[in-house]
Amino acid sequence: MVALETVLTVTILVPLLFAVIAFGDAFQRWLAQDAAAIQAARLAGEVGGDAPEVRALLADTLRLSGIDPDRVSVEIEPARVGWREPVRLMVTSGVVLDIPFVLHTVMPLRSTAVARGEVNR
Amino acid sequence: MLAGSIELASLRLVAAKARAAADLATIVAIGDQDDAAFQATGAYRPSPDAEAVARAYFARNLDALAAALDRSPDDIAAGADVAVFREAGMVDPRSGRRYDHPAVRVAATVPVRTPAFAAFVLPRVTSVDVLAASVAR
Repeated sequence: MVALETVLTVTILVPLLFAVIAFGDAFQRWLAQDAAAIQAARLAGEVGGDAPEVRALLADTLRLSGIDPDRVSVEIEPARVGWREPVRLMVTSGVVLDIPFVLHTVMPLRSTAVARGEVNR
Repeated sequence: MLAGSIELASLRLVAAKARAAADLATIVAIGDQDDAAFQATGAYRPSPDAEAVARAYFARNLDALAAALDRSPDDIAAGADVAVFREAGMVDPRSGRRYDHPAVRVAATVPVRTPAFAAFVLPRVTSVDVLAASVAR
């Protein structure tokens, strides 16, 4: 009887505990990635679009948040933005959700920020 | 219980994203100045279309959350309380805050879908209040 109770408890509590940790980590990463995307979008507006310094800032900010920039896909549209035109920066990464007995998957984390071009060409 | 916990965390995540959207909208709106006023007085004044710009960029930045929202981003942005403070020293009647420089403020209620809350006899839609202001320096 005790063994049965233990098995039932473990199969319920362990996934719950892992889920709390896994989703907490995923959501924390997502917020950090959002903040990085916003900063990079603002810089993209300031320098007029997709520039090496924008990607460098994004990579640095992601790295500081514990996200490997090499595993992140980045799109900046349009690549060259005019004055007062919108520039959209999209960052996509994946986080592994590994919850014993329940789930093993990669959850996509997408962040989008739209800023405004500030370069009067 | 797990579904409720994840829903609560998701709600907080969407709320943070909505606040970031409003924040970026006010930054964009205050970042453009009134050229005519600058030439005439040398003072920085927000662009005449600052309110429209703030609404437009609030909607654009909410677009990524559209699936989680109970109304369209355009509707939410249209219903937002956007205020442009063109002079230094103006007081925001909503918050009572005094701005030392020209500022743009966005206050909005963002309805977020929370279907898992229904299992706990909680509302299927949760309203999140968002307030963001950016000041020119």
